[in-house]
Amino acid sequence: MKSLQIAATGMAAQQMRVDVISNNIANMSTAAYRPRVAEFSDLVYQQYLTPGTITSQLGTVVPAGIQLGTGVKASTVSVEITQGSMRQTGGELDIGIDGNGFLEIQMPDGELAYTRDGKLNRSADGEIVTMDGYALADGITIPNDANRISISRDGQVTAYFDNDETGQSIGVISLVSFVNEKGLQAVGDNMFRVTEASGDANRQVPGTNGAGTLRQGFLEDSSVDVVKEISDLIEAQRGYELNSKVITASDEMLAATTRLR
Amino acid sequence: MSNSIYATLARQDGLLKELQVVANNLANTNTTGYKTDRAVFAEYLVNTGTETPSLSMGALAGHAFDLTQGTVKFTGGQFDFAIQGDGFFALQTPDGQRLTRAGSFQLSSTGELIAPDGANVLDAGNTPIQIPAGTETISVAGDGSISADGELLGQIGIFRANGELQRDTDTRFTAPGGTEALQNAAVLQGALEQSNVSPVLEMARMIEVQRAYEAGQTLLEQEHQRISQTISTVGNR
Repeated sequence: MKSLQIAATGMAAQQMRVDVISNNIANMSTAAYRPRVAEFSDLVYQQYLTPGTITSQLGTVVPAGIQLGTGVKASTVSVEITQGSMRQTGGELDIGIDGNGFLEIQMPDGELAYTRDGKLNRSADGEIVTMDGYALADGITIPNDANRISISRDGQVTAYFDNDETGQSIGVISLVSFVNEKGLQAVGDNMFRVTEASGDANRQVPGTNGAGTLRQGFLEDSSVDVVKEISDLIEAQRGYELNSKVITASDEMLAATTRLR
Repeated sequence: MSNSIYATLARQDGLLKELQVVANNLANTNTTGYKTDRAVFAEYLVNTGTETPSLSMGALAGHAFDLTQGTVKFTGGQFDFAIQGDGFFALQTPDGQRLTRAGSFQLSSTGELIAPDGANVLDAGNTPIQIPAGTETISVAGDGSISADGELLGQIGIFRANGELQRDTDTRFTAPGGTEALQNAAVLQGALEQSNVSPVLEMARMIEVQRAYEAGQTLLEQEHQRISQTISTVGNR
């Protein structure tokens, strides 16, 4: 009874789809979150009668043959590359990225990580850090006596002091782009790490070489489309039910067989 | 033994395989670019000896896939493509060229357009498609022409099989008779072709298979009773 196992692969696939959808819905308010989509593909085919098998000495061949499918599997769960809407927060160290690119973060383990979540803060010694206290890899320190800072669209960070109206440049926030953003590895906390598939990190001045620009005082919202997620959820639930019906039918057929004697 | 038992057994075997086809269709109701499978039955004659007439049996003779277009779902993804009408995307895999209608692609770390498992997507001239580094927007026109930031790069190849298609895994097909590029194909960017399985049809087919199978079992049961009755009646003489 292959159909039992095939329906089980179908149910497992729909279950996985529900998992992905529920994670998207759970992150509908996460800053700069990008929804994931599960894609499926069919499994190998059992070749009972290969098309093209010669059926006579005249050289006639089997046109379509018999190939029986064995179910479905997940082929990829990929990140949708989308731009979330910008929400004005007025925060001095809130940065929204308009366009491509990630902020580069120095992680405590010495590695670099990448994020689009621009909710930044100032540490005790004036460094620009993430919500978790990890420093921005550009290494910008805000002087203690600065009364305000401005971040331009191309990443220039300028500190202003009480007695100095012109301001003083204290560094540049760069953006990092990847050839294949979908290939980045998500590690939680809105962070991603570079992989073989993503290609190397390319540091860029914001606004050049295809990199986006920075918006001070804004944060990028989650780009989850709740209506779409719910309609996908309905589809997945019905798909799950359909496959469970196949299991019931296969079971009843087996029961009919065992009733024979 | 009774010939009706042999004929029914052949039918039951075929029905189990048909259920497998239905189960595979239902498992793939959400598989991008999947094409519905159909089991085809044919009669064949068995020679039962010189004195008796031959016996007709039914068995699974082949299968056909329904190549009608699935619903196109708009995703907005830059590298999601759907084909309107005929044709397939061509992929270069380690086992040779494969055809597919599932256009969920992405870029490799070196900027080549690839399928989720890393197989290169081919252009009309059968070569991989390379996207220059630093490109901001990729747009694909209705005829498959790809441009990077307004500069024409080439054309996504849409192919047609010469002769029969054979199913492969990953919603792919092989074309043993070779392929040729289609000239007037229509490509949609930001959309994916959904599976063309109709759940209603498949459920109906499944019920049909199940009932036919039960009918077959009843027939076998009655044949069994008839024979055992004959044996006991003749034995009692």
